[in-house]
Amino acid sequence: MRSGFATLLLLWLCAAPLAMAEERLHYPAAPVAGQATGQLVIHGALDLVHIRPLLERFHRQHPGIELTYRNLGTLPLYERFLATPDEVDVLISSAMPWQYRLANDGHAQPLGSAAAAAWPDWARWRQELFAFTFEPVVMVVRRELIERFGRPQSHADLLALLQRHGTALAGRVVTYDPSRSGAGYTYAIEESRLSPRYWDLVAAFGQTRAQLVDTTGEMLAGLAEGRYWLGYNLLGSYARRVVAQDPALEMVIPDDYALVTQRLALMPRQAPHPRSARRFLDFLIGLEGQRVIAEQTALGAVHPELEGQGTADRLRATHGEALRPLALGPGLLATLDDLKRQALLARWRREFSRDSAAGD
Amino acid sequence: MIRRDSLYRRLLTWLLLPLLALGGLMVLQAWVEARRTADRAYDRLLEAATLAIAEQVQWQEQRLWLDLPPAALEMLATDAEERVFYALYDAQGDFVTGNAELPADPRQVGERGDTLLYRDIDWHGLAVRQGIRRARLEDWRQRERFEVRVAHTREGRERLAAELLRGNLAYILTMAALAVGILLLAIRAALAPLTRLRRAIRARDPRTLSPLELSLPRELAELRETLNDLLARMRRVRANQERFIGDASHQLRTPLAGLSARAELALRQDDPARWREALEAMHATSVRTSRLAIQLLSLTRLDNPEYRPELASLDLNALARQAVRTHWHACHRDGIDLGVETAPAPVRIRGLDWQLEEALGNLIDNARRYGARHVTVRTHASPPALEVEDDGPGISPGRRLLMLRPFHRGSEDSDGSGLGLAIVDGIARTHGARLTLEDASGGHGLRVVLRFPGDTP
Repeated sequence: MRSGFATLLLLWLCAAPLAMAEERLHYPAAPVAGQATGQLVIHGALDLVHIRPLLERFHRQHPGIELTYRNLGTLPLYERFLATPDEVDVLISSAMPWQYRLANDGHAQPLGSAAAAAWPDWARWRQELFAFTFEPVVMVVRRELIERFGRPQSHADLLALLQRHGTALAGRVVTYDPSRSGAGYTYAIEESRLSPRYWDLVAAFGQTRAQLVDTTGEMLAGLAEGRYWLGYNLLGSYARRVVAQDPALEMVIPDDYALVTQRLALMPRQAPHPRSARRFLDFLIGLEGQRVIAEQTALGAVHPELEGQGTADRLRATHGEALRPLALGPGLLATLDDLKRQALLARWRREFSRDSAAGD
Repeated sequence: MIRRDSLYRRLLTWLLLPLLALGGLMVLQAWVEARRTADRAYDRLLEAATLAIAEQVQWQEQRLWLDLPPAALEMLATDAEERVFYALYDAQGDFVTGNAELPADPRQVGERGDTLLYRDIDWHGLAVRQGIRRARLEDWRQRERFEVRVAHTREGRERLAAELLRGNLAYILTMAALAVGILLLAIRAALAPLTRLRRAIRARDPRTLSPLELSLPRELAELRETLNDLLARMRRVRANQERFIGDASHQLRTPLAGLSARAELALRQDDPARWREALEAMHATSVRTSRLAIQLLSLTRLDNPEYRPELASLDLNALARQAVRTHWHACHRDGIDLGVETAPAPVRIRGLDWQLEEALGNLIDNARRYGARHVTVRTHASPPALEVEDDGPGISPGRRLLMLRPFHRGSEDSDGSGLGLAIVDGIARTHGARLTLEDASGGHGLRVVLRFPGDTP
């Protein structure tokens, strides 16, 4: 079982763009009279470009706290934590099933603050696991495709487009390879639960000889270069930044359903500086941290009192019914089941090659 | 502060203590029951989850295969957000898949294909409830056995149990409060007649001795009857006392009136011889009156129930002889034959010699006054007894008891005080002796016997 997880994690790691061995931010303590002092060690699978505004604001508020942030891939993050659970104060990861599993196994300690109690139920598990971002999974389409075939607004549109213009689009569609990407696998399992028509879509991908890649970054690069006309299941928080700078690209949040992933933060039970950790988590899910997320990052703020650009509230207002956040519940554990993974991937491969097998 | 014993407190203690113990038991039972109910309700989730998982177990690629339904795990987590664990084990007990290597349950439940076991275990520091389903594949070829083990933490169960317990506790506490209230009222009501009795007694005039008229429950009615008996006795005693005082004042008034009349008469005359005569008569009357006063005093003293004289050992024979010696002259002067017949050996009893002497004196005096010719004083050894027999007119049996009353005289013309026999009776009581009046042996006359308790000491 363990090796199964390891491979899966490895794949997830590949999915995390710009994951490097040791990306590190350090804010030395500059004690001010009357301010809390201490240390805080954060390990996260969250790019520096996203985390930096948050850390800076926190450090401005609590200059007495010496702050160390390490950006790790989801696999090193998970394994390093299991090896030394008493090294880190706050653990942030986009790998929801793994974070959930850590909390489920009792590695997290409850926060129990007012901010934690006020946090919406759907975005937390017990008082231990907090989802503090709101990132839709999107399609990115090139202008050429929109001009020729119209803009696909939903999965049904996409399926119809692929079925109708399969030959024209051959090789021009790109998506995650679920057998190599943990994120792609998580989305596949969620989508297959949502509707059996997902398999038709997979078959249509197979028909159009869709390209299978490992990361959102790869997809975005190919789309920007014009190699691909349509990217499916990109992480919205990364896509938004690229699309905003490239007029040839357009981001589509499907209006029938759009998965939403969330970054989960937890405080380990053996956190060496629990007071600082509590302070940081309170900041992260408090109004201020959330405002930073809304205004200075593309992660999407969750706080129910925030509205406007860059918040879950705004996304809900525009896409309402369609948004399907990954449920923060034991269903995530099923994602990690080794046999489940094998079964799903087998089915995926079968559906993907359904047409070619029929054609043979 | 002295804690006074109280019926109310006793009743309260002995009723409340068992009640509280009972209440405690009920709370305990409610707690056990709440837990059991919560477990039963939540075990259904384990059952459903294991079933959902077991249904997805297949034989594929020469091994057990599970397409884990996420819903099976979501089922196990309720609003209480329990931690959830699951595992699939094959017939050999080897781990197939799962998120935790849950322990096996050693219990065996028959050999039937589909069985379920529940238990509470402590697993890696977590208190979890485990459910194990033993099942077998129903494939065409394969009949492989397998085991689905699931577990979740107890938060939901505890929340439900606490909720159930809270409901039950409210009920039990209300009941207890009601029971205590009723108990207090009941005890108060039961003890109310006691208060009524107390008030009735307190409200009485201390001089009235009339019986208590008050309807009371049986137990207190007995007390009331006893009280009324006592009151009746006191009434009789007081009636006797009143009569005695009346009689005594009457007895004293007559000689005093005589004295004053005699003195008045003498004062009208000048002859010293007459004076002397009057003085002699007055002297005789005053002697008689003072004797009467002395008798009254001794009778009062003898009637006092508090009077407990020191008794000394004495010989009845000596006493009898002494009495005869003392009274012989007076009797001889009146021509009465006074004799003594003593027991052969000394008859020793415990008593007061002066009282017994007075008793004998009174008896001899009585016999003399009522016209006896022969008076005999006797003593008997066994039982020790003192007896005075005369051959006078005697007393008819019907009047004998009356004779023991003060101021009751055998005949009106006699100059006796009527206290003699009453005093003898009082002396007999002081000695614990029995006084009887009998017919004399000669056929007429009276025999008065004092029988002392016990044998010759």
